[in-house]
Amino acid sequence: MSRLDRQSFLGADSDRILHDLTVGYVGLGGGGSHVAQQAAHLGVGGHVLVDGDIVEDTNLNRLVNGTAKDAKDKRLKVDVAARTIKAVNPSARVKKCPVPWQQALEELKGCDVIIGGLDSVVAKDDLDRFCRRHLIPYIDMGMDVHDTGGQYLIAGQVVLSSPGCPCLRCFGVVTEDGLAQEAKRYGAAGSRPQVVWPNGVLASLAIGLLTQLVTPWHRGNVSSAYLEYDGNKNTVRCSPRVAMLGDRPCPHMSELETGDARFDIREDPKRKPSSPVAADEATDGAAAQSATRRLLRKLGIRLRPASET
Amino acid sequence: MKFTFKATPALFARARQDLARKHPFAHERVGFVIAGCARADDGLIVITARDYMPVEDEDYIRNPNVGAMIGSGAMRKGLQRAYATRSALFHIHTHGGRGTPEFSSVDIKDAQNFVPSFFNVVPAMPHGLIVLSNDSARGRVWVAPKKKPVYVHRFVAVGSPLVRYGEVA
Repeated sequence: MSRLDRQSFLGADSDRILHDLTVGYVGLGGGGSHVAQQAAHLGVGGHVLVDGDIVEDTNLNRLVNGTAKDAKDKRLKVDVAARTIKAVNPSARVKKCPVPWQQALEELKGCDVIIGGLDSVVAKDDLDRFCRRHLIPYIDMGMDVHDTGGQYLIAGQVVLSSPGCPCLRCFGVVTEDGLAQEAKRYGAAGSRPQVVWPNGVLASLAIGLLTQLVTPWHRGNVSSAYLEYDGNKNTVRCSPRVAMLGDRPCPHMSELETGDARFDIREDPKRKPSSPVAADEATDGAAAQSATRRLLRKLGIRLRPASET
Repeated sequence: MKFTFKATPALFARARQDLARKHPFAHERVGFVIAGCARADDGLIVITARDYMPVEDEDYIRNPNVGAMIGSGAMRKGLQRAYATRSALFHIHTHGGRGTPEFSSVDIKDAQNFVPSFFNVVPAMPHGLIVLSNDSARGRVWVAPKKKPVYVHRFVAVGSPLVRYGEVA
């Protein structure tokens, strides 16, 4: 019996497919830590871990495998995730990128699938566009606790945004209104409420979509998905937007825009800065915003972290 | 330096469908794929297909010695599109059948004559040659006009399911 025998229904070749797969995780907080752990159990061989944050006491209510000692030692979240993965699968290929994702572009471009657990709407939008530019399916997880006047509503969603299919903008996860509201709140201190079990549900849905994408065990098509979670009713349903959009091509980013706009085969990559494509992406909001964030940090203005779910 | 070639299944299907059509006199059809590129880590270059361009019927030339011969008009159209979009340009045809296809000696010899000239028009991008089967592909990439081409390490159909094939060790 091998470690993966009980999941052989995923296909005769599923062990090899999963072993050869490289998944990128952007954000290794409450959502990402769950996802990385499940991917390791599933047999995913390659893991690119991207998160610049360290473990804090306030993360321990939801950070899977995060310990009080990790918080005391100010351990990086990528180290906690790497430790988890290696404990399950010692031969896993793990790359740790303890930086904002905009500084790990080369590592992410080599991924087969990227899973994001980002709070910020701008960041979700930018990561989705990055993935489309490089023909990488993107699975986005999002969770929120809404105050409905003395009561709370836990809601979340998991979206699979594949090249050639509806994107986060098509699905209405990223809207101009959402971006504008976030811009208004920009710089405001305080953190969003987060709790462990909805993250676990969303992470499991994300891993389900990943598995269906690479080792489909049935004939259902999952090139596109939008799963809505209602934490009060304990239900998950497929969003009606999926049927509404059907096979309509995404109008927000054309396949003609794939690749790096400034790519030059004649350039020696060894002479370039560590993340040569950062300049290309700087036209997008996220990189420009991260420069603004750096400036604000220098000025001593504290910002709400954007990389946790 | 390793190359991965990615495309949506829709683009691969469009190419296969077009290349399978009968031509009035040519034995086979050819086409072009334009593509973007990006450097990933570990020396990997990811080629991302942008569009498939069929060669129009009138751009074929009668030549009983080869499966298909195209005129300068077809090459010009391909190169114009690659120039306008700053794209890598790949000549593509199919051998049909199943499994990873191999280039014929004629494929390799012909490509050596025309692919290096693509660099005159778009010198910043790699260019090359792709041969399809019904379920796999093989590719050769030139990084400079006077350098030897290398094989595409892996093809990826980015869809549902996500499939990797044509892997070269």
